[in-house]
Amino acid sequence: MGLLSVEGLIAGYSAADEILKGVSLTVEVGEIVAILGPNGAGKSTLLKAVAGLVKPKRGSVSFAGERIDGRAPREVSALGLAFVPQEQNVFPRLSVLENLEIGGYADPAAARRRIPTLLQRFPMLAEKRRQAARTLSGGQRQVLAMAMALMVEPQLLLLDEPSAGLSPIAAERLFETIQAINADGVAIVMVEQNALEALAIARRSYILVDGRNSRSGPSAELGADPEVRRLFLGG
Amino acid sequence: MQEIAQLLINGVVSGTILAVPAIGLTAIYAVLRFPNFSIASHATVGAFAGYIANATLALPAPAAVLVGFGAAGLVGVASDQLALRPLRPSGALTSAIASVALMIALENLLRFGFGNDLRGFDLPIMRDWRLGGLRVGPQQLENLGMAIVSMAALFLFLSFTRTGKAMRAVADNPALADVKGIDPEQMARLASFIGMGLAGAGGVLLGLDTSIDPLTGFRAILSIFAAAVVGGLGSIPGAVVGALTVGIAEELSLIAIAPAYRTAVGFGAILIVLTVRPRGLLGERAY
Repeated sequence: MGLLSVEGLIAGYSAADEILKGVSLTVEVGEIVAILGPNGAGKSTLLKAVAGLVKPKRGSVSFAGERIDGRAPREVSALGLAFVPQEQNVFPRLSVLENLEIGGYADPAAARRRIPTLLQRFPMLAEKRRQAARTLSGGQRQVLAMAMALMVEPQLLLLDEPSAGLSPIAAERLFETIQAINADGVAIVMVEQNALEALAIARRSYILVDGRNSRSGPSAELGADPEVRRLFLGG
Repeated sequence: MQEIAQLLINGVVSGTILAVPAIGLTAIYAVLRFPNFSIASHATVGAFAGYIANATLALPAPAAVLVGFGAAGLVGVASDQLALRPLRPSGALTSAIASVALMIALENLLRFGFGNDLRGFDLPIMRDWRLGGLRVGPQQLENLGMAIVSMAALFLFLSFTRTGKAMRAVADNPALADVKGIDPEQMARLASFIGMGLAGAGGVLLGLDTSIDPLTGFRAILSIFAAAVVGGLGSIPGAVVGALTVGIAEELSLIAIAPAYRTAVGFGAILIVLTVRPRGLLGERAY
């Protein structure tokens, strides 16, 4: 059993709809896993269901050996599983420093210790620490959102389309940051539209189609598979 | 010219006092996302609690304001939990309508307890200060000071305390705040306590200026709502700017219209802002 284990997950946003129709997934300690697939496949819903933002109808989610399905987002976060949403992932009217403080809200003493380390790690945030988060660029906001998630020293980080809307250079920098975070031992599950980049940095990948598992395996193998290339990588 | 200067002074004082309950309304809106009209009756609850503290227990005016804050805050949390919280899943409009019903219920409870008579606070009689041809009452200045202290205390709380920052975070992005470990229900209770407490403090300040009866808050609700809307509902600096605008406009209107029609200024201000700039003067800034 891995760090995160999702089995037969069925979930949706209302009683009638089922976006996830039985998804399974495992994540081992310290690995990067990419989740790919066409729009509407349920990738973001899967992350939200794991993070506690969408209540699963059936199936199970276990983290570090503990069942977490149906728990409130803040309870999931307290266990060391941090979620970075695709949009609205910072508090725009709060300063960068205040955003970090709220990131570590659950344990203020640990937050005070952790902030200087994170500001050292992300000098851009240190430079802009008194500015409101809404004044940051898209790439800078993503870095702030990840730094906020790192405030709880998570074992697993769930990233929902971190490179969406970024310029190629900003996306490149962001993927480097993600790899650096992973090098510190934080496992990462990443939903990405930028499939080539995601396959390049993820050890394993899952492809979802219409709310179900379609393909999975080591990223190098999936990236080389002609059918996967044709369907998801544009050639 | 002198008349205009006098009206401006009066407007600044009444606008600053008006800002206290307007901040309460806007703070509740920022966190709970509905306009809680029962703020009117909570202002009256605060005014009566302050009146008991002052006239019965012989406490000075600042202590009466504190008592008004505490009493209205506690009633605010209790009434929200009992009457409004169960309706929250039905949406903002349902909550807003229910808050009107709550306002009427609380107002009539006060009527049962205290009757309809006008009551005045027990204040020392002091001569107005004269500067040139302008007059300022010492009590007016004390009220202005207490209103400024209330706002400064709220500003410090929101800027420098962990709980205050958490409250702003919920106002900014409630879903993310929940992910980060902030309990939305706890923040809702806190917003109700502070918002209704400020309404209560505002009620006492209004009472110190004139007199109180079960309709004290109701008579002010249009101006309070106008102040919050003019500044941008949900924006605390906006509520201050809006209250000063409405306060000064109401006083200056006396040049042209009879005092009985003064409340029309609030309507006019809401109408203009919703037509020209619907998000209010400072609508983008919640804090």
